[in-house]
Amino acid sequence: MDHLLQILVNGLSAGAVYALFALGYTLVFSVLGVINFAHGAVFTLGAYFTYLLIGGPVGANGALAGFRLPFALPFWLALAVAGLGAALVSLLVEATAFAPLRRQRSDPLLTLISSLGAGVVLVNLVQILMGAESYAIPAGTLAGLPAAVNLGGATVRTVQLLLMGIAALVLVVLTLWLERSRSGKALQAVSEDPLMARLLGIPAGSMIRLAFAISGFLAGVAGGLVGLSVSIAGPYFGIGFGLKGLGVLVLGGLGSVPGAVLGGLVVGLAEALVPAEFSGTKDGVAYAFLFLMLMLRPQGLLGRPQSSKV
Amino acid sequence: MTPPPPPPLLELEDISRRFGGLLALNRVSVRVEEGEILGLIGPNGAGKTTLFNLISGVTPPSAGRILWRGEPIRGLSEDRVNRLGIARTFQNLRLFGPLSCLENVLVGLHHRGRSSLVGALLARPGFRLQQAKLRLQALELLELLDLAEQFHQPAASLPYGLQRRLEIARALATAPRLLLLDEPAAGMNPGEKEELCGLIQRLRQQFALTVLVIEHHVPLMMRLCDRIAVLNFGERIAEGPPEAVRRDPAVIAAYLGVDG
Amino acid sequence: MSGLSLLVQMGLAALLALSVSLPLRCGQLSLATPGFYAIGGYVAALLSTRWQALGGAAATYPLPSLLLEMGVAALVAGAVALLVGRPVLQLRGIYLAIATIALVEMLRVLNLNLEWSGGAVGIFAIPQPFAGPGGYLAFTVLLLAAWCWICARLDRMRLGRAMAAIREDELAARCMGIATTEVKLTAFVLSAVIAALAGVVAAHFLNTWNARQGSFDASITTLAFVVFGGSRTWLGPVVGGLVLTALPELLRPVGDLRLIVFGLVILIGPALFPQGLITPERLDWLGRAWKSQGR
Repeated sequence: MDHLLQILVNGLSAGAVYALFALGYTLVFSVLGVINFAHGAVFTLGAYFTYLLIGGPVGANGALAGFRLPFALPFWLALAVAGLGAALVSLLVEATAFAPLRRQRSDPLLTLISSLGAGVVLVNLVQILMGAESYAIPAGTLAGLPAAVNLGGATVRTVQLLLMGIAALVLVVLTLWLERSRSGKALQAVSEDPLMARLLGIPAGSMIRLAFAISGFLAGVAGGLVGLSVSIAGPYFGIGFGLKGLGVLVLGGLGSVPGAVLGGLVVGLAEALVPAEFSGTKDGVAYAFLFLMLMLRPQGLLGRPQSSKV
Repeated sequence: MTPPPPPPLLELEDISRRFGGLLALNRVSVRVEEGEILGLIGPNGAGKTTLFNLISGVTPPSAGRILWRGEPIRGLSEDRVNRLGIARTFQNLRLFGPLSCLENVLVGLHHRGRSSLVGALLARPGFRLQQAKLRLQALELLELLDLAEQFHQPAASLPYGLQRRLEIARALATAPRLLLLDEPAAGMNPGEKEELCGLIQRLRQQFALTVLVIEHHVPLMMRLCDRIAVLNFGERIAEGPPEAVRRDPAVIAAYLGVDG
Repeated sequence: MSGLSLLVQMGLAALLALSVSLPLRCGQLSLATPGFYAIGGYVAALLSTRWQALGGAAATYPLPSLLLEMGVAALVAGAVALLVGRPVLQLRGIYLAIATIALVEMLRVLNLNLEWSGGAVGIFAIPQPFAGPGGYLAFTVLLLAAWCWICARLDRMRLGRAMAAIREDELAARCMGIATTEVKLTAFVLSAVIAALAGVVAAHFLNTWNARQGSFDASITTLAFVVFGGSRTWLGPVVGGLVLTALPELLRPVGDLRLIVFGLVILIGPALFPQGLITPERLDWLGRAWKSQGR
């Protein structure tokens, strides 16, 4: 029983990370209908930003070896600033990889490639500057909070609680914003019918940039939290998340905000349920889910079916 | 005892099609007899193109039967329907844009040129001869539709009216018994429409075709068609010779927007 | 890396690019190529290291055994492609791409955990059919030339035309009587066979094979080859594979920056050359220029 509760907690907190990651992914997809392959890199940058902002030193292998910011922010502030930094990077990705092709009305496939190019550039920039080593955000960072609490027999790390709380908060705020606010509704209008939105005077360009900024912010925050919860396993660690994030996205339904959260939780829980002796296959779970879902219900758990017109 | 009369070439029995809450076609029955030109008219949104989509296998009907020479064909995929001998054109033009006119027609000739893979890969004489024959056939079809001079141009670069004719050439290449033309005269001037009318009649003669045609221009349809069926709000409100249809009060009401 | 080895790598990359370009010719973005490449490599690694009868113990691995491996690899990859292809090819656009990514990743995780594929360490000491990179180069060039020939012939065959028609408008192609699922499946199987053959050569050439061969990174790099070179001709993917594989090596003087330059090329390439470097129009133009030079 205790064991099961522990699995549940671990699964949900892992799922919360996937959900945070996938929310930004899905937001851009819902507006553009294109997967942003640089999302994983932006996530990675968020983690590195957080590490640097709390005053972490650069390791020995990068061009910036030994560098350390002259100040150290408390974790919360660092996380928020890192999120903003990631949002800026995301805007940069939009300006270089997406905007030129959108102006040319290119094949979406090309955008997929150029976004990947942006990801390659970012990841290798990190590698040159910070080296290939992994970084850990020290556990004492959450000053004042206990490292773990006991919850009915299961040990819950504070970070895990934070992850779940933040994912829930973001889901609520994002949904409210999309449904209630003027700009949120405008964003939805652009995603549903770009032409009609333009006729209604909604500036599609700025709505797209807004989606990228929010998506980047969420990715950055998710990156910082994962850095705290696990560690930053080198410049490429966001790529794995990017791939699994795809699985989460399709599982929940491409472009669906609640779907991204549901997909994240399902994948997180499923991975946690893999018995220890098969832990090597854990990474395959998301893809197996993804594949099955595509075969059985391509529109995902909460997505709308696609239709074509003759 | 006389043998029973042969079944009509195509028969739609009580066909319905629902899209969500919208009933696009409601228990429509239409018979297409071998060799005739049957016109399909009706106001916008009456369900004409939906009917074409059902016949050509693009969308399955929600209810009802589609019989080809008396055999049910409901649920067959588009390519199977085409190989039975039903070819269509598209209202919104669906040519293979960057491919040349010749290649567009050659795609339609797909099933005429069976050849061994090895022969094709090694460009053996037999394969080359067959390729030459296919090109000749394609060029003849282009010639017939007055497109021979444009044979090497990309389909997308043609003016609108020529693209409509290229669609007909491509459909004819599949050797249909029944040709479905979806607004073939759209965007043409009166002179071109007149020409097209003559062309359709010539094609019917030359290929022993049966033609089902959707068109908005009613006077043209009166001259072109042997019989006309009228759709309104998904229901067939009239079917018969042009003169009878023209005088039908239900048709007049539908076109003038008068009740009953 | 020696110059000859780089040339072998370039040739293999060109083969993989051809493999990705075949489904793309009928408008299907499949990223399954690295998976079939991995299958080919494992077939070669397993057969040549386990069965002495094939010549695994000989000083130089016999060439007929290599050809036999290629036959087996082509059969296995083709059969897998046939099996997965039918359900997967029902998916469209980005969904197909994602499904094939999932397939490749599932295969990778499987290979990482299976006993007979050597787990994480993989398979070592794969016998050498050729004494040095020169032999590999000759063999790779022959293989590449054969597939270039086949892909070039496709343009003149009804299969190639049907593929182009599907790429432009699948529904219209079906309405013209083309059994589009069969055509797409054929392209998918051909693509799998090319990738598996490249995998066989690569396994011997690299001398070792593991689950890192043929992962998501490889899916994307091979796709970049095709987009960079252009997918509308057979020459485009080949040139893309050759150039983009050579590029990081040619950029070696700029040191660590080379991967950034590589990234910039695929970031900016699609906007500058939306059709890729090589398009039918540019080839026509080149051909005419060549002829007028000759006169």
